[in-house]
Amino acid sequence: MKNIIIAGLLLSSGLLSAQVDRSQKPAPAQAKKININDSQIFTTANGITVILSEDHKLPRVTFELSMGSSPRIEGDKAGLAEMAGSLIMSGTANRTKDQLDKEIDYIGATLSADKSSILLSCLSKHTDKGLTLMSDVLLNANFPESEFERIKKQNESGLMSTKSDAGTMAKNATVKVNFPNHPYGEVMTEATLNAIKREDVMNFYKANFTPKGSYLVVVGDITRAQTEAMVNKYFASWNGGPLYTNPTNDGNFSKGNRVIFVKKPGAVQSVVYVTFPIKMRTGDKNQLALNVLNGILGGGGFGTRLMQNLREDKAYTYGCYSSMNITEDGSWMSAGGNFRNAVTDSAITQILKEFEKITNELVTDEELNLTKSAMAGNFARSLERPSTIARFALNIKKYGLPTDYYQTYLQKLEAVSKEDVLTMAQQYFTSKNCNIIVVGNEEIIENLKKFDADGKIEMLDAFGNEVKEVKKADIPKEQVIERYIYTVTQTKNQKELAKKLKKIKSYERVLDMTSAAIPIPLKMTDYWVASVTEAQKMEGQGMVFQKSYYDGKTGFTYSMQTGKKELTADEMESKRKSSGLFPEMGYAKNGTNYELTGIENVDGKDYYVIKITEKDAQSFDYFNTSTFLKERSVAIRKNGEETVETSTTLGDYKVVSGIMFPHAISLSVGPMSLVGKVSKMVVNGKIDLKDFKD
Amino acid sequence: MKKIVLTGLLLSTGLAVFSQKKIEYKEYDLPNGIHVILHQEPSTPIVAVSVLYHVGSKNENPDRTGFAHFFEHLLFEGSENIGRGEYSQLVEKNGGALNANTSQDRTFYYELLPSNQLELGLWLESERMLHAKVDIKGIETQRSVVKEEKRQRVDNQPYGSFFTEMFKRVFTNHPYNWAPIGSMEHLDAAQEEDYVNFYKDYYVPSNATLSIAGDIDIEQTKKWIDKYFATMPSGQAINLYRDFLAQNDADFEKKYGIAKSKFDAKDFMNSKDPAAKKLIATYAAKKIEVKRTKKDDTVLKGVTKDIIYDNIQLPALFMGYKFPEQTSADSYALEMLNEVLSGGSSSRLNKAVVEKKELATFAFSFYYGLEDAGIGIFAAIGASGKTCDEIQAEFDNQIELIKNELISEEEFQKVRNKIENDLVTANASVAGIAENLANNYVYFGSAERTNKLMENYSKVTREDIQRVAKKYLTQDARVILNYLPKEK
Repeated sequence: MKNIIIAGLLLSSGLLSAQVDRSQKPAPAQAKKININDSQIFTTANGITVILSEDHKLPRVTFELSMGSSPRIEGDKAGLAEMAGSLIMSGTANRTKDQLDKEIDYIGATLSADKSSILLSCLSKHTDKGLTLMSDVLLNANFPESEFERIKKQNESGLMSTKSDAGTMAKNATVKVNFPNHPYGEVMTEATLNAIKREDVMNFYKANFTPKGSYLVVVGDITRAQTEAMVNKYFASWNGGPLYTNPTNDGNFSKGNRVIFVKKPGAVQSVVYVTFPIKMRTGDKNQLALNVLNGILGGGGFGTRLMQNLREDKAYTYGCYSSMNITEDGSWMSAGGNFRNAVTDSAITQILKEFEKITNELVTDEELNLTKSAMAGNFARSLERPSTIARFALNIKKYGLPTDYYQTYLQKLEAVSKEDVLTMAQQYFTSKNCNIIVVGNEEIIENLKKFDADGKIEMLDAFGNEVKEVKKADIPKEQVIERYIYTVTQTKNQKELAKKLKKIKSYERVLDMTSAAIPIPLKMTDYWVASVTEAQKMEGQGMVFQKSYYDGKTGFTYSMQTGKKELTADEMESKRKSSGLFPEMGYAKNGTNYELTGIENVDGKDYYVIKITEKDAQSFDYFNTSTFLKERSVAIRKNGEETVETSTTLGDYKVVSGIMFPHAISLSVGPMSLVGKVSKMVVNGKIDLKDFKD
Repeated sequence: MKKIVLTGLLLSTGLAVFSQKKIEYKEYDLPNGIHVILHQEPSTPIVAVSVLYHVGSKNENPDRTGFAHFFEHLLFEGSENIGRGEYSQLVEKNGGALNANTSQDRTFYYELLPSNQLELGLWLESERMLHAKVDIKGIETQRSVVKEEKRQRVDNQPYGSFFTEMFKRVFTNHPYNWAPIGSMEHLDAAQEEDYVNFYKDYYVPSNATLSIAGDIDIEQTKKWIDKYFATMPSGQAINLYRDFLAQNDADFEKKYGIAKSKFDAKDFMNSKDPAAKKLIATYAAKKIEVKRTKKDDTVLKGVTKDIIYDNIQLPALFMGYKFPEQTSADSYALEMLNEVLSGGSSSRLNKAVVEKKELATFAFSFYYGLEDAGIGIFAAIGASGKTCDEIQAEFDNQIELIKNELISEEEFQKVRNKIENDLVTANASVAGIAENLANNYVYFGSAERTNKLMENYSKVTREDIQRVAKKYLTQDARVILNYLPKEK
């Protein structure tokens, strides 16, 4: 109270109303030394290193148990660890998944797991109960078959959408190129996912989750004595095999620039990453200065060199960034963004120019200070979360950092000079030995040759595997179509074919579809009535989302969002060409623009690829070179500035009324994918089209 | 019987060890009316600087709805000393983060900064309070931004209009009738005088609470607050100063009878001219009475049932009840009632409506306590082939059940655990603490309530929960909205 009165007095006597110069932005005070509590460390008989960081500010506690083993080479089961990680919380020998969820909720706790760690966070008074659940998961996870199948399906859909997701394709190529013969260079494909069995997951879990070499980081409102008691009670009985250590290599350093291209037909933008491995591991004394360099080059915000040059100055892109990934098992640097086709090569030129500049010249004081302030702010704000403190304690122990490393982080950051940044660039950076990853439209390849040291561009597929050169087809396009038609109709010549097709008057096909993105099952029903009438509807939970109809004279599409629309003249023309039981049979006569581009290898199988072009749209049909069955179809159409890719996979061909129809049909549109199984396929049955007659 | 007694005992000992820790703070008023709250938390070198203006959408003219929120956007544009677009840049360049939000009752601004940048934060907020500056381009830009925000959050969002539709029907006699996002036509119609007057009426020291939490030196902080905030004109003198900045010579002299040249442009408050000095003193003595709205004591009459057609695929049901204002003694029991019905996946509504009867894909309820009144909402998005009436029947069953039977001890304890956990988490960050202290001061007249919450909740009995269910879940006086897909 006294203070207030005095302040009031001072004010009224006018003493306090000395002029304030508001036009001057206040200067920052001296950066503070951070108070990070010292951690206590002890080891258990079964090999756990316990790191305790007491913090009694709030009555909460966090237990994070992380495994010490090196990542394993997974080979033909690539993706196994990820798969296991997402299954750990699926239930234990004592609790079903539902029970587990319920008990976690009751104490308001968080319990989560991944491939090499389990994390518990709860109020300190619920520590006992929380650890009961955590240790149950750790010791008794039982990976139920049903959950295994569910997660596998989720992964299948994920892989399908990868094929149309340029960003993921570029990431896959990046790790494959930087890290061959290294756990980082392994990417899950359909083949490796299929090879993963529930036993593999359980074996991985058993091998990887061992107390030997593991770290238990305890942060929060708990004492040393309590921690010891808890660890003894819940983790002493935990046994496991030996720690797996496998020193990894530093990655593959290319000699001269390499251009690596991943085809994305129809793309209007390319995803570009200019990347190379860095010879450094977490905890290196140069790590901080290297991060400052990255902050100046393109590490975030609008002020960086890459952003200023490629966006603000040249307008090649909405954003251009760089990232510095320093880890304990391998490190790499990567810079890039999305660029429209016409400027993809110019963008690469500018990125390389920025690499060169930063290795040759000192950065400015302004750049340096801006980056350091932003980094200091991020660091300081991150400290409020107990998980950050836990990570620091772990890093200090695990990577042998000085014990005051984080205490003095800000001072060390402040001490980084322009000269240090240049030294870092010269030691770790290159503009001449980069891997230039481009995912995009084939038409731009020619312009990229100039960047490649030997002029030979390497081609990878969506998962970063080498694409075999497109081979010239050994037969003409007409023959591919003919062989396909004979195969699916099980006929040998035109006469037999004509006779057989005459008998086919109609079909009705019901496809049951599921998708990770849509919580309800969908049903797609297709009708065809000789010779050109076709109708389709998509429904779910008793509601029709989409319908379409065409009978040669009229046609419409309907969707719940946009309502009913009659087909335009152009759309009618397109339908005319693509309708019929086997539209391929009409190509030669109806003026369809189609060509056989060659033989492509996809996922280990050779396909004849037939390309159909119509105005802005293109589609590619893939016919297996040995069976002649159509197994894949990719349609690309323009939607304004963007292209939309629809990819269909056809499999499980079965004979119905003498015709082979695919019974496994999956769709992927942009990032969404739908997996479908045919539940009804009736030929020459009664067709009721009244749903389409309103 | 023995078991129950034991649980009771455990419960009562449980009371003593509730996890909430006391938040220490200092608070005082500046002579110009700004209320200051300071909380020192040295463990992390960061600081949250916040200003709460006691103005929200309920203070808007009925023909300028959405204005409070729009104004919040405008106040990031700049000031006499901060150029357009620089405001957020200054924060980000200095390692900070910032944001703001507008409710029916208040507008809240904050910066989260490294603690050695506290003075910067204070300067930024004082600039906003003293002489914010907005030009035509800024107004047009923010108008577009707000419209995009509405498209994204309301128009383009399935069921996004339910909030607006519900408030419109539950609050027929109070400005809670419209939602903070308001009407875009009203924003288009806004004139210059609307901006000027809103700033003068509500963005004044006596209507502001400055709440700071983090790694601060209390004495140094007070000095800076004196420098940047205590020097701000008291009473109507701040608006005299604002007119001095905004008006031309002729208009100013016409209004105040003194030429602008008599004042010191560099140091307005210390203008030497005797006439100017006198005028400043006169205006400083004139208090600004902020217009307050009245508590809404009216009760709903009868059942209002409406159908709303929206771009949706599944039908949805929303039921609204008139609940009391947040300061009501019953608010704690109502929060707990809501936890029983809707807290987590094991809650009653989720179990009954979603899992057992599979009537809905999603069902929940909440109590929205405001300054002048409150509302209780039940909501569910239907499962395939289920109707709003079927969902409503089950909601009504659940309501009857909780009115007629005491909840179990176990359920009661779960709710207490959940609330305790939420309260601890609410004070886990300095930004959260600054906001909680300010809210409690402004709405409850006591920052100390921040420390009393668990105590208040622990006084609620199972019988209280049943009592408030009976009192406020009035089946014969409520609003029922059925959302149905638009006709094909």
